Amino acid sequence: MPAAPEEIGKKEVKTKELTVNMGPQHPATHGVLRLVLELNGETVVKCTPYVGYLHRGVEKLAENRTYMSALPLTDRLDYISSMANNIGYCVAVERLFGVEPPERAKYIRTIMAEMTRISSHIIGVATHVLDIGATTLFLYSFRDRETLLDLFEMTCGARLTVSYPRIGGVRNDVSQEFIDKLYEFTGYFPETIEREYETLIDRNRIWLQRTKGIGVISAEDAINWGLTGPTLRGSGVPYDVRKHAPYDAYDKVEFDVPVGKNGDVYDRYKCRMEELKQSNRIIRQCIEQMPRGPIMAPDAPKFTLPPKDKVLTDMESLIHHFVLITKGPIASPEGEIYSATEVPKGELGFYMIGDGSGKPYRMRLRSPSFVHVSVLPELCKDALIADVIANIGTIDIVLGEVDR
Amino acid sequence: MTIKDLAKRVFLVEILKGMALTLRMIFTHAVTRQYPEEKRPPFPGFRGLHALVRKENGEAKCVGCGLCAAICPSKCISVYTSEGSDHNKVVDRYEIEVLRCVYCAFCVEACPFGAVVLTDHYEYSDYSRAAFDMDKEKLLANWDKFMAGPKGEEYFKRFWRPLSEDYATPEDQPVFRGGAGAPKALPGKETVEVQGGLSDAA
Ligand code: SF4
Ligand code: SF4
Repeated sequence: MPAAPEEIGKKEVKTKELTVNMGPQHPATHGVLRLVLELNGETVVKCTPYVGYLHRGVEKLAENRTYMSALPLTDRLDYISSMANNIGYCVAVERLFGVEPPERAKYIRTIMAEMTRISSHIIGVATHVLDIGATTLFLYSFRDRETLLDLFEMTCGARLTVSYPRIGGVRNDVSQEFIDKLYEFTGYFPETIEREYETLIDRNRIWLQRTKGIGVISAEDAINWGLTGPTLRGSGVPYDVRKHAPYDAYDKVEFDVPVGKNGDVYDRYKCRMEELKQSNRIIRQCIEQMPRGPIMAPDAPKFTLPPKDKVLTDMESLIHHFVLITKGPIASPEGEIYSATEVPKGELGFYMIGDGSGKPYRMRLRSPSFVHVSVLPELCKDALIADVIANIGTIDIVLGEVDR
Repeated sequence: MTIKDLAKRVFLVEILKGMALTLRMIFTHAVTRQYPEEKRPPFPGFRGLHALVRKENGEAKCVGCGLCAAICPSKCISVYTSEGSDHNKVVDRYEIEVLRCVYCAFCVEACPFGAVVLTDHYEYSDYSRAAFDMDKEKLLANWDKFMAGPKGEEYFKRFWRPLSEDYATPEDQPVFRGGAGAPKALPGKETVEVQGGLSDAA
């Protein structure tokens, strides 16, 4: 029998939190991320991320590969910005070996890394916006990314998993067509950002309401959580590996580090948009300054591969060729190194230990996405359930890198 | 909030601007392709399906040194050799499990003879997995198919790196030739603040 109207409210009603599983197969989690949400009505009381669905053991696999053939493993960390991961790996191994790539290779790498940053940021922003409910930007950004992927394909024959840089240089030189087309792209791209991307969402009231004041994290907290990249800079901390420990050609180009103020979703979005323009600026400078010269370091035959045309004519090259491929570099150093590079998502660190054999004794990866996932419970605490999606988008994670 | 802001708010200015943009886009050219009917040819040097190079006498160029199998990061190449009648090395079986391959082209780079190549074929689909366990015959057939196409041998030279010229400065090395559109002037500060606080919510 239904309770009499006067009895409602008097009776003690037992309430408890509702536990909801979000993911691992959820379109808004950008991969196989599982969140267990404890809800009190619409409010998230507790959010616990579970990771590991995409674990492939990249670190362990690298221990059984020579320094050269471990390179394709890094493509598959953050598969949207594989070029930047490759470069991070090569820079780490170069530091361990004490090799310096030639100038031209440094410029080419910087160009490639910044192209990757553009394509990763436009995907990051576009999927973020798509999750919140705007489709158009997603389509426009894929059009622009296509231009960049075509340029990757033109240079190295692959669009996504590029494996392009080599220890001590890059695999092959860029073509004149590449330089011209990329320069043309950098000419119109900043305008495209303003005319299309920003017109669509920058001041759109729905977007503003969904992002301003959401997922706020203070500068101090952001540092304590170990955030890096635009996710940290959105809180106003101007930390950028490219500025603080320059590698490749970053010390020869001018660029600014955009920082936010409030540390909310909107500021992080703004940082990414500004970084697109800065990356564009870096690419232009690199193209203009790029010198002529070799693309492989002079001592590279000892740890990458000797020139092909010499392998069957020159005894030393032949020996190097066989030993390098079967055993790895003969002159592999002992020692350890931590090397950080700024990938689109944040600071990608490689901690490598060499034991004198041709394979890394240990390769430990500090992947930005993994660190960023750990801040999700903090961002989602006491937020509305709809804001969980905004928070996942704003930390811009790729699960390949989280689970490694 | 100024009158101007209020007017912007009331008349949905930013929404209308966005709509105008999407409306304009309707009248521009489509950038998409109707894929299976309309295909974009891959760029020279595209890393697609494997092939084993055939010599002029019709035999495979591969000598069975096994370097491609040694460097392969996904360990998907197996080469089996035995001793021939006049003490030469004979390649009995050469197999690539194509489904495990990651298309890094390291096998091409490792081969001292340029005997294995990646072709421009990128549509992998079949009804059985067995179709992708490529043996020597299938790989040689891939080469025939590839050579019948427009690309030819010039194509795979793009993977077969590094060459001596990569360690030197070629005469005709491409550099920037100047181009239209001066770089956009951007603020010259070390860091730029990107926005003006919560209060300026539209
Ligand atoms: S392309 Fe790479 S993964 Fe594929 S067979 Fe060659 S070396 Fe192995
Ligand atoms: S490296 Fe070349 S020659 Fe040696 S086994 Fe492989 S395909 Fe044959």
